[in-house]
Amino acid sequence: MSVRRETPGGHTALEGALAERGLVCRVEARSGLAVLIADAATVAALGNADLRRDALALAREHGFSHVAIELRADASLPRA
Amino acid sequence: MTETSAPLHAPASATAREEALAAWLRERGRVAIGFSGGVDSAYLAVVARRTLGPEGVVAIIGRSASYPAEQWATARRVAESFGIAVRELDTAELDDPRYAANPSNRCYFCKTELWTKLAPVARALGCKAVLDGTNADDLADYRPGAQAAREQGVSSPLAELGFTKADIRERSRELGIPTWSQPSSPCLSSRLPYGTSVTPQRLAQVEQAERALRALGIVGDLRVRYHDDLARVELSRDVLADWLVPDRLAELRVAVRAAGFARVALDLRGFRSGSLNVLHGVTAA
Repeated sequence: MSVRRETPGGHTALEGALAERGLVCRVEARSGLAVLIADAATVAALGNADLRRDALALAREHGFSHVAIELRADASLPRA
Repeated sequence: MTETSAPLHAPASATAREEALAAWLRERGRVAIGFSGGVDSAYLAVVARRTLGPEGVVAIIGRSASYPAEQWATARRVAESFGIAVRELDTAELDDPRYAANPSNRCYFCKTELWTKLAPVARALGCKAVLDGTNADDLADYRPGAQAAREQGVSSPLAELGFTKADIRERSRELGIPTWSQPSSPCLSSRLPYGTSVTPQRLAQVEQAERALRALGIVGDLRVRYHDDLARVELSRDVLADWLVPDRLAELRVAVRAAGFARVALDLRGFRSGSLNVLHGVTAA
């Protein structure tokens, strides 16, 4: 059994990697879960199966076993 | 006590397995079945009723806060449709601090509570054996509840005879059992990550959220996973893209927030059985 764990700073690195694919969002790390806090444009983009697969693969690379997207109108707010 | 293990000589087809199951049941006589109204126990109960007659089987439902009300209604409907005698008993696993603490072997304590209450009822009703709906696929999964069943002498004929979930669905469809296409429906506590204590309030919150999502017309596999203030919604991969549309995701969010979650997120991979086992490293991703 081998489950990777999110590495320190993994969420910010994931944010950058997602942004390079055009998926702008904030990433909140909750243990192995990455919550992508995104606006409507990013949600709509992830309706595309290929982009979704990319996002999941990137998250795995950064140590997250689970990825979920939260729609927020204030997605661009600075990190708390 | 019956040990459940992978069958060495399972009949080759689902139909042949069903014949073997009927023979297995005839050898036992009157049986009691731990009956949840799920795909597996419904199939087992119907075959037992057909094989042993109305006096040959009693389906026993264990009720608690972790058992969804919708599932109970399904169980009662199936039993009524097929003329299966039903008994109900209340289980109190939430009163057991070992269960409520929600360790990774939580199911062991739940099933111990169920079977230790159910077995005496079955004996009092003249049943010669107590059965559950464990199937052959389940044997490969992490199921601490199976240990409790073994300790209490519960038999799992579907697993012993090599029935896969697909077999059970196929035969259920053939027999006209409405659960044939029903998604798997584990107890509500499975929505809470290990270590998050199980309370009636949290279970009710998850149940209300899932009911609200069904009311939106979501079909197939569906789970609302509890992460404190955040609900992580897992939908069947067949319908996932339909909800990755801003307006629809907003609709989904409103429905789940009404159950008391401050935040709602949609899982991008979709439904995964045992998803929280993966998240907590109990099973591999």
